[in-house]
Amino acid sequence: MLSIADNYFSQFHLPVEYDIDLPRLDSEFRQFQQLVHPDRHAAASDEQRLLAIKLSSHLNEAYQTLKSPLRRAAYLLRLQGVDVEQVEQSDLAPELLLEQMQLREQLAELPQDESAFAALEQMGDETSERLVGRQRDFAALLASGALAEARKLFHELQFLSKLQAEIEKAEDALFAE
Amino acid sequence: MGLLQISEPGGASPRRGSRKNVAGIDLGTTNSLIATYVESGQGAMESAVEGTVQTLADSHGAHLLPSAVQFGATGVLATGAAAKARAAEDPANVIISVKRALGKSHDELTASGDYRQYRFAADRAAEAPAFLTAAGARDAVAVSAEILKALAARAERHAGASIEGAVITVPAHFNDAQRQQTRQAAELAGIKVLRLLNEPTAAAVAYGLDSNERGNIIVYDLGGGTFDVSLLSLQKGIFEVLATGGDTALGGNDFDKVVVDWLASKAGFAAIEPARYPALLQVANRAREALSEAGQAEVVWGGWCGELTAAHFAELAAPLVRRTLSACRRVLRDAGMKLGDIDHVLLVGGATRMPVVRQAVSEYFAREPLHDIDPDRVVALGAGIQAEVLAGNRPNEDFLLLDVNPLSLGIETMGELVEKIIQRNTAIPVVKSQQFTTFKDGQTAMTLHIVQGERELASECRSLARFTLRGIPPMAAGAAKVEVRFQIDADGLLSVAATESSTGCKAEIQVKPSYGLDLGQVEKMLHDSRAHAREDMQARALGEAKLEAERLIDAIDGAVKEDGGLLDAAERQAIEAALASLGEALAGGDPALIDERRARLNEVSESFAARRMNATVGAALRGESIETFENLAK
Repeated sequence: MLSIADNYFSQFHLPVEYDIDLPRLDSEFRQFQQLVHPDRHAAASDEQRLLAIKLSSHLNEAYQTLKSPLRRAAYLLRLQGVDVEQVEQSDLAPELLLEQMQLREQLAELPQDESAFAALEQMGDETSERLVGRQRDFAALLASGALAEARKLFHELQFLSKLQAEIEKAEDALFAE
Repeated sequence: MGLLQISEPGGASPRRGSRKNVAGIDLGTTNSLIATYVESGQGAMESAVEGTVQTLADSHGAHLLPSAVQFGATGVLATGAAAKARAAEDPANVIISVKRALGKSHDELTASGDYRQYRFAADRAAEAPAFLTAAGARDAVAVSAEILKALAARAERHAGASIEGAVITVPAHFNDAQRQQTRQAAELAGIKVLRLLNEPTAAAVAYGLDSNERGNIIVYDLGGGTFDVSLLSLQKGIFEVLATGGDTALGGNDFDKVVVDWLASKAGFAAIEPARYPALLQVANRAREALSEAGQAEVVWGGWCGELTAAHFAELAAPLVRRTLSACRRVLRDAGMKLGDIDHVLLVGGATRMPVVRQAVSEYFAREPLHDIDPDRVVALGAGIQAEVLAGNRPNEDFLLLDVNPLSLGIETMGELVEKIIQRNTAIPVVKSQQFTTFKDGQTAMTLHIVQGERELASECRSLARFTLRGIPPMAAGAAKVEVRFQIDADGLLSVAATESSTGCKAEIQVKPSYGLDLGQVEKMLHDSRAHAREDMQARALGEAKLEAERLIDAIDGAVKEDGGLLDAAERQAIEAALASLGEALAGGDPALIDERRARLNEVSESFAARRMNATVGAALRGESIETFENLAK
């Protein structure tokens, strides 16, 4: 059994699983912040305010970890004792690496004008669709206790999220032209 | 730990019948305002957004105080409208747009072109570069302090008493240096800062409380010298900032400058003598403002006379408008939202009166922006409301603001690269740690360089502080473990500590800002400016000590009444003795003694408070383990 301090899920009265009830997370988070946020203790002593800062920071960290699909995945693996910080060559399938390299090249070679918008949009849609599917797979693997596979899939999720961020960045750059 | 009264949302209950006299201040590039609680039936009611917090007018009925200060041989000659009116005739001594100079280096100021009519003190290495005026060298902190003093005096005239504290607004994307200098300016003006509040957040508070709206709101804030955009989620009583962004060098002034450039090309002058620049800016500004009302504006400069049409101005301004929309896009992105998720768009800042801006924003978000509240005043009103909350003047209201850190914070590592420790748009308060290690065998010291910004290279980010951690026991490279801990409090202010812990030997240091004035300097300036007011300061210290002590006595009385059952006889006795001795100290007039006894009372009630808090938090956690929740605080 994990204690409250160790587990962000039970902090917000949520089951420890990848599929998460986001509206519930939001409302639990807000309810807690109403209690502990330093502004609710603005007139208290320094020591009390420091405590409020610590509690409130902890809630923020817990909330943001659970809200982000990628961070939530890493966190769930860590709860199971799986270290995702260290990446081994064997974790990454050669085809995945090759494909990601090609996608990035494709991104870099897009023309620097309006005509690139459509291509970027398509890449973005494909990437998010794939992300959603792989997240579903991840949830299933984790639930069935297939940790080694879940860990491999986590690295793919990392790649896809990074790619998505790069596509968005490229769109921003284009928009700012 | 002491009495964290978690069971009582609203926390600070005001002492019966006593309302703290606090204010909200919008310290703007072009204009500044102050808003306070006004009893009904008093003052101008037209701006009453939340019933009772209002912006205050001067004796001529003007709410906006132009952010201008004129210096003469004897010191400050004029502040506000009178100073602004003399900008063209006395360009070197009337300081305008000083907000853009806050937190900037000498080189940044001279390179910007904003301040070409001024001369700066020769010391290029000075952390706060000073304008050379007839009164001597005055840096941006000192000039800003004059504006704040004028506003505080206005509030004092209205209330018949000086303000006890203020919430001061800053652009959301202001960096740490700019925030620190804003704070220092307030200290120099003798104003206690309750909070620095981001301008778009303040606007959302004034708007949200007024309208009782819910949903996702974009605040588009184009002021005289700064552009901010924030995305907030409004729920009942909770204002949560999801993301914020902006452009640190973009504002109404820049729209004036495109008119200046147009004028230069039409009237055929390439350069202008610096002293005439303020006059030229005024001509451009008048034309630009006229275009908000009419389809064309007549422009006269020197012997030249011509016409600028709204359509042509829109063309000239298009790149600037696009920059603002680009920032809006990034904010949506950071919040993980799409255009369709936005329920409301709120326009803030005088520059949003420009039709070219209004139109572009409503087109981009595909909805009509809100501007029911005067865009010039809405920020000050929101700050005034937050001041009331922080002062405990609104104990019965469920109101909470959850804000974010606008710019990423990190540490320079090998190869000048930045390791980001706190990403931008992270909810605050936040505490984050990261481990670093030594690079060489036997290394006993490590220099940490703290930077702020989104770029990859340290040299392209804003340098905030550098400090050296010494006393690391000599070990093989990579064996030492240095934990660097960043903390941002609810004010958005940063503190950093580093600890070497691999051998149990700890070395710790607290970062001091490496820019602007250090605290000693501020104290000296405070001392200089108020040397004659020494007695006032002592009275103030006593007043503050008394207030704090009375507040604690109230809190403990209440706690004992409510949860006295948690106390054993010895504890109860110790608390009662400490209460009595604090009561004696209160009867005397020594602030140091009062503080000392207050600390003692805090100490003896500490464990009681902890148990009380656990009981209430435990209840909030629906009966789950109490011990573990408390561990969070460690």
